[in-house]
Amino acid sequence: MPPAAGVWWTGDRVAGLILVAIAAIVVVETMALPLGTLSRPGPGYAPLICAVVLAALGILVTLRRGGAPVANLRWGEARHALLIFGAGAFAALALERIGFRLTTLAILVFLIGVVERKPPLPVAAVAVAISFGGYYLFWNVLRVPLPTGPFGI
Amino acid sequence: MIETLQNLALGFSVALAPNVLFYAVLGCVVGTLVGVLPGLGPLAGISLLLPLTFGLNPTTAIVLLAGIYYGAMYGGSTTSILMRIPGEAASVMTCVDGYAMTQKGRAGPALAIAALGSFVAGTLSVVALMLLAPPLATFALRFGPPEYTALLLLGLIVLAYMSSGSMPKTLAMATLGLVLGTIGIDAMSGFLRFTHGVTELGDGIGIVPVAVGLFGLSEILLTAGKDTPPQVYKPKLHELVPTGEDVRRSAAPTLRGSLLGFLIGIIPGSAHIISSFVSYGVEKRLAKRPEEFGHGAIEGVAGPESANNAAASGAFVPMLALGVPSGPIPAVMMAALMIHGVSPGPLLMEQQPALVWGFIASMYVGNLVLLILNLPMVGLFVNLLRVPYAYLYPCIVVFCVIGVYAVNSSVVDVWIMIVTGAVGYFLRKLDFDMAPVVLGLILSPMLELSLRQSLAMSAGRYDIFLQRPIAAIMLAIVVVLLALSVWPALKGGGDWRTRVGLDEKPG
Amino acid sequence: MLRTLSALALLGLVAAPAAAQTYPDRPITFVAPFPPGGVADQVGRPLGSAMEKLLKQPIVLRNQPGAGGAVGMAAVAQSRPDGYTLLVALSSISIIPEADKLFARQPAYTMDQLAPIALISADPTVMVVKADSPWKTVKDFVEDAKKRPGQIAYASSGVYGTLHVAMEMFAVAADIKLRHVPFSGGGPAVTALLGNNVQALASGPGPVLAQIKAGTLRPLAGWGDKRIPALPDVPTFKELGYKDVEFYIWAGLFAPKATPAPAINALREAAKKAVDDPEFKTTMGNLGSPISYLDAPEFQKFWDTDAARLAVAVKKIGKVE
Repeated sequence: MPPAAGVWWTGDRVAGLILVAIAAIVVVETMALPLGTLSRPGPGYAPLICAVVLAALGILVTLRRGGAPVANLRWGEARHALLIFGAGAFAALALERIGFRLTTLAILVFLIGVVERKPPLPVAAVAVAISFGGYYLFWNVLRVPLPTGPFGI
Repeated sequence: MIETLQNLALGFSVALAPNVLFYAVLGCVVGTLVGVLPGLGPLAGISLLLPLTFGLNPTTAIVLLAGIYYGAMYGGSTTSILMRIPGEAASVMTCVDGYAMTQKGRAGPALAIAALGSFVAGTLSVVALMLLAPPLATFALRFGPPEYTALLLLGLIVLAYMSSGSMPKTLAMATLGLVLGTIGIDAMSGFLRFTHGVTELGDGIGIVPVAVGLFGLSEILLTAGKDTPPQVYKPKLHELVPTGEDVRRSAAPTLRGSLLGFLIGIIPGSAHIISSFVSYGVEKRLAKRPEEFGHGAIEGVAGPESANNAAASGAFVPMLALGVPSGPIPAVMMAALMIHGVSPGPLLMEQQPALVWGFIASMYVGNLVLLILNLPMVGLFVNLLRVPYAYLYPCIVVFCVIGVYAVNSSVVDVWIMIVTGAVGYFLRKLDFDMAPVVLGLILSPMLELSLRQSLAMSAGRYDIFLQRPIAAIMLAIVVVLLALSVWPALKGGGDWRTRVGLDEKPG
Repeated sequence: MLRTLSALALLGLVAAPAAAQTYPDRPITFVAPFPPGGVADQVGRPLGSAMEKLLKQPIVLRNQPGAGGAVGMAAVAQSRPDGYTLLVALSSISIIPEADKLFARQPAYTMDQLAPIALISADPTVMVVKADSPWKTVKDFVEDAKKRPGQIAYASSGVYGTLHVAMEMFAVAADIKLRHVPFSGGGPAVTALLGNNVQALASGPGPVLAQIKAGTLRPLAGWGDKRIPALPDVPTFKELGYKDVEFYIWAGLFAPKATPAPAINALREAAKKAVDDPEFKTTMGNLGSPISYLDAPEFQKFWDTDAARLAVAVKKIGKVE
């Protein structure tokens, strides 16, 4: 569906410009690598070609009249998405510091209990079952070591 | 022929012995369990569980590993279909139409067709393996870097059929994947590219974390906060079973997928990953209603799933016939055999007939066990969708984190998954498809390496691609396919924009 | 809250020295810095199960691959030096820092961050060609290579990988120029040779023994000080007059440098007994990789010599462009 006349900022334009920017960064970084020749391509050869093609396609996507106007995008789920993203980032930071069981316990209590506001009893049951059960499954059944935190938990 | 039958009889006498059968079943069960976990595919599964086999004898060890391998494959398609989480790179295409079917309340038929397709493909390719292994293996070894380059270029052509969106957007996403694939150590010169001091990026960006992030996590980010939470799905019994039409529509894709997967699978290296992508492209090209692809076309589940499974069996051809570690999975299997004092070589079939044929027979058995195990489980798995989403998605997030972490014990992989999840969230909101990114990421390092290896072999002369018959033929196919897709665009005159997708397609 | 915390901290202080005396009192982790199925895995897992019987604590092996092994090695080098995180490393441990120097890179780890505990195996690499190739001896090969410099191609496990360095060491000593085609690992390199895509390969004996016995590959010479027991007819480069051509794919156990002496001693003791464990001996025999045990002091000496030799070889290769 072509966007309404006068709307410049469509989804495709935003994405296209971001792709051009990424391509530009790659080109700049490639300058530090030896380029080589056509018959002996160096480490910088493939990235440079890919970046140039990416820039060209980014421009093409930008120039086409495509995508819905950005203003029409709805961000109703963004708050949830941000919280889940935060929980994931916490997992990456905490996993090797406080161990698998405490990390998953915290994430599950946060997401189910705080974000989704479910009653405490089922929250506790699911959180304990997944974190300790998951550890048991990996370590005791499959012999795959998962990180442990202080006091061996 | 008679000899083959005798060998097969020997194989079945080994594979059906109660203790070996027990390990085959155990392997299938454990493999399914592992494969259901997001991010843990067949390779990660057998690698992680390799130590479990150390106490066994070589035959039971390899039968157990094969069971785990097949089981993990089945398990992987389950999460792809139900939750859009690929267990491995090869199930990315299953996510697209499988999950679309789930959203339409057709998870049951999708799972059943995936299981049936895998069974047919597995069985057919074991037959092919049995009859053709030695000649095929010798042929497969001739696939050096130049042939590989040509094959991967063929893989790139598939991109044209990858997504339902417009062509420039698809190509832009694929190129983004190609760029991502250049991160890490340059295999030819040792230079580090774009790693910014992060040692873990030295081997590049892992395909599995990216696939789980772009497909699985982005889906959760998009769904969890919807104003109306996804409806709890209550399947009726008759909805679990594929209809006659489902089966009819899946038959040809399954057979084509099996053939395609097996042929790509026997080639040494990691090309087997692209078999499911190629199958998807072929099915979409041949389909009567290509517009259904991406919105729950059953052919898009049957083809890639069969190709994937056939490629898995095909990969064992060079290993069993010539003792060549022809890919990551045969390499792990060979390591397991060596620990038990069996060193696989060209004489493996002669010296260890009981082991080799027992293994082949157990592949039949394993496929059957999995079918028996999985068809009734379809109902059980589908019932997972009854769990309210508020409880389900936090658990999926946890399992994604741990599945991705466990493969390499790497927190960096977890970060990659989370960041690509966010990227996928934004790109999907802007109406971009994610499958081309994954295909680009898969192809990029392989294509660059094999091209530069070829040039190293020929001291920089490009005619190496024309002097080697297999490579030359495949390149000719590439040119023909390209010409076929450009020709109508040129001939069509005025509406060429529509043809190449420069304008939005109507509807 | 604060009181609980300080009480816990106090407990920790008291507990630390006590723990050192009762080492080990919890499971030990071996880190193999390569993907599953590689040499570090094949040596590390049976070694672990032999040592856990002696130390009375479970030993688990964790694969932490990445950047040619640098990721796992750096992870152990920087881990808490308590004797519970150990490294099963191969010869590449001495090559990676040299390659980093070549590119003026910040190294991921340095060798002096790690203390050797025991050398478990040291397999000399062996040079193999296809059985139907014209070269029967190293002399044939060198003569042919001199006639057409840069024409004969060999495969390696990766640029600056063990198999690359070994082959270049020989090429420099023999004064020949070869064409290098790197692959992504030892397995693909063997496959490339079998498929006639390259003409020669330096490989650990394990992966090619079966092919040699089946008559598809021909060994020309070994890189060892002595001949390889499984290939008694194959000469060494030293015998052939290439004096400094010596290369081993060895596997050893390491701990972070600051690991307390009681833990190190307990581990040395356990490793010494483990190499006599009949089950472990059988497994290593099966792999075609006989045990060459050295205790920490001798291992340190061996490592120093080896690292110096490899440093010279890497410098001679220089930057590949």
